[in-house]
Amino acid sequence: MTASLAALPTVFSIGLQRQLAYRWNYLLRALFSAMPLLVSWVFWKAVFQGKETVGSYTLAGLLTYYAVLLVVEAVSSPADDDFQISREIREGMLNSILLRPLPYGLYRGALFLAGRCAYLTAAVLPVALCFFLLSRAVPLELHSLDWIHGIPALIGSALLQFSLTLCLSLVSFWLLDISALIFLVYSLEFLAGGHVFPLDLLPAPLFTAARILPFAYEYWFPAASLCGTIPRDAWRAGLGMQFGWAGFFLLLAAFLWKAGLRKYTAAGG
Amino acid sequence: MVTPFHLLRLWLIQLRYAASRELAFRANFFAWVVVELAWFVLQLAFVGVVYQHVESVAGWSRQEMIVLVATNQLIQQIFTAFLMPGLVKLPELVREGKLDFVLLKPAPSQFLVSTSHLEIGPLANAAIAAVVGILALHDLHITPTLPSLLAYLLLVLAGLLTHYALLLGLVSLTFWIIQAESVLLGYYSIFQVARLPREAATGWFRILFTLVLPLLLVANIPAATLIRGLQPSSMLLFLVTCLSAALGSSFFFHLGLRRYQSASS
Repeated sequence: MTASLAALPTVFSIGLQRQLAYRWNYLLRALFSAMPLLVSWVFWKAVFQGKETVGSYTLAGLLTYYAVLLVVEAVSSPADDDFQISREIREGMLNSILLRPLPYGLYRGALFLAGRCAYLTAAVLPVALCFFLLSRAVPLELHSLDWIHGIPALIGSALLQFSLTLCLSLVSFWLLDISALIFLVYSLEFLAGGHVFPLDLLPAPLFTAARILPFAYEYWFPAASLCGTIPRDAWRAGLGMQFGWAGFFLLLAAFLWKAGLRKYTAAGG
Repeated sequence: MVTPFHLLRLWLIQLRYAASRELAFRANFFAWVVVELAWFVLQLAFVGVVYQHVESVAGWSRQEMIVLVATNQLIQQIFTAFLMPGLVKLPELVREGKLDFVLLKPAPSQFLVSTSHLEIGPLANAAIAAVVGILALHDLHITPTLPSLLAYLLLVLAGLLTHYALLLGLVSLTFWIIQAESVLLGYYSIFQVARLPREAATGWFRILFTLVLPLLLVANIPAATLIRGLQPSSMLLFLVTCLSAALGSSFFFHLGLRRYQSASS
C-alpha cells in the first residue's frame, strides 16, 4: 500500500505533463466556459429592468453567483475523465493498468487532480479577465466571498464530481457506448445542480426536492457557500449531504469496479 | 466538373448509408432522443423559473419566449441531424491523418467533411420543438399567414447556415491546434447567445452578434416573423450576414486545409 501511495506523485506528474501538452485545448475550454457568464449578464440585465430584486437576488448578487460558478467549475469539474475511463475499459487499455500495484481509483484520482491543476493554470487568466470585465459593468459582490465555508464545499464538490464520474464511466463494463448516459447526467447536473439558475429561485417544494439530490452539491452548494448565502446550520447539513453522497458514489464505484472486472475480458497486449 | 445535381445525389447516397448505420444501433438512437429532449426541457424549465418572477423580458412574454426557444431548438436539432455529426469528426480526421481519404475523393472536401454522417434522433426532437412552438403560438392566438410561414422556413435555413458557419470555423482550428475537441464546447457555449431575445442585448455585444456572427438573429428573426409578421429589413440583414459568415468560415477551412500534412505518408 505504501508503495502504491509513493507512486501517486509520479502518476500526478505524468498526468499533468500529458494535460499541459494540450494547453491550447484547455485555454480554449476556459475561454469558452466564460461565455455563459456573458450571456447570463445580458439576459438577467433585461430581466432586472425596472426591478430591484428577483427572488432574494439583486442583479449584482445573481451575477456574482454565476461568476463564482466559473471558479467551482474550474476547481471541481472533471474534463474528459469519463470518456478516458470508458475508452480504457472498452479498448482493453486496462490490461497494463491492472498489472500495476496501484488501486485504479487512486490512479484515476491522481489523474483527475492533475487535470484540474492543468485546467486551473489555463483558466486563471480567462477567468480573471472575465471577472475584471464584468466588475467594470456590474458591481460584483466579490469582496464578501466566504472562503472559510466555500473551500470545504469546493473540496466536497470535487470529490462528489469525481466519484459520480467514476461510477458513470464504470458502466462501460456493460455498455458499449455510454456517451448518451453521460450527457443525460450532464443535463440533470445543469438543471438540478444550479448551473442554469440558482436553485433558490425555484418554488419552495422543488427547491427542497433539489436539495435531496446529489446534483445540488456539485454546483449550487459550493457556489452559494462561497457567496455566503447559506445560513450556518443549512451549510453544515449541506456539507454532510455533500460528503455523504460522495461517500455513497465511492462505495458504488468500488462495487461496480469489482463486478465489472469479473466481466472484463483482456485481449491483446 | 462537379455540379450541384451531382452533389445532391452524393448527399442522398451518404444520407442513405448513414441512416442504415444509425438504425443498426436502435438503443443508442432512443437514448439520444431522451438526452436531447432533456436539454430542451432544461431550457423550458429556465423560462418557467424566470417568468415566475417577471411578466416579460425585453418585451417578450412567456409564450413568445417559448416560441423563441422552440425555434432555436428546431434549428439546432436539424443542424445536429444533418451537418454537425460530420463536422465534429474533422479534428479526429486531421489528427490521425484520415483526411487523406477525403481529399482523394473527386468531390469538394468541405462538402464531404460536412455531409459524411447523419444522426436521426435529433429529427424527433426537432419535431417536438415544432409542436411546442405551435402550442405556444396557439396560446398567443396567432395563426401565421402563408407568407410569414414561407419566410419562417427560409429563415430557418439561414439559421442552419449560421450554425454551419460557426462550427465549420471552430473545427477548422484543428489545422492549427492538435487537440481541438474543446471547440464543440465552444460551439455550445457561443450558441447560447441565440436563445437571448435580441432586444436584451445592447452595445458591442449586440453589434458583434448581429453583424459579425449573427447569432442574435438565428432564432429571433424567424420567431419574430411568426409572432409579429414579416420584417423585410431584419430578414435582409440576417440573410446577408449569414451568407458572409458562411463564406468567411469556408475561406478559413480552406486556409487550414493548406496547412494539413498527411500523417500516413
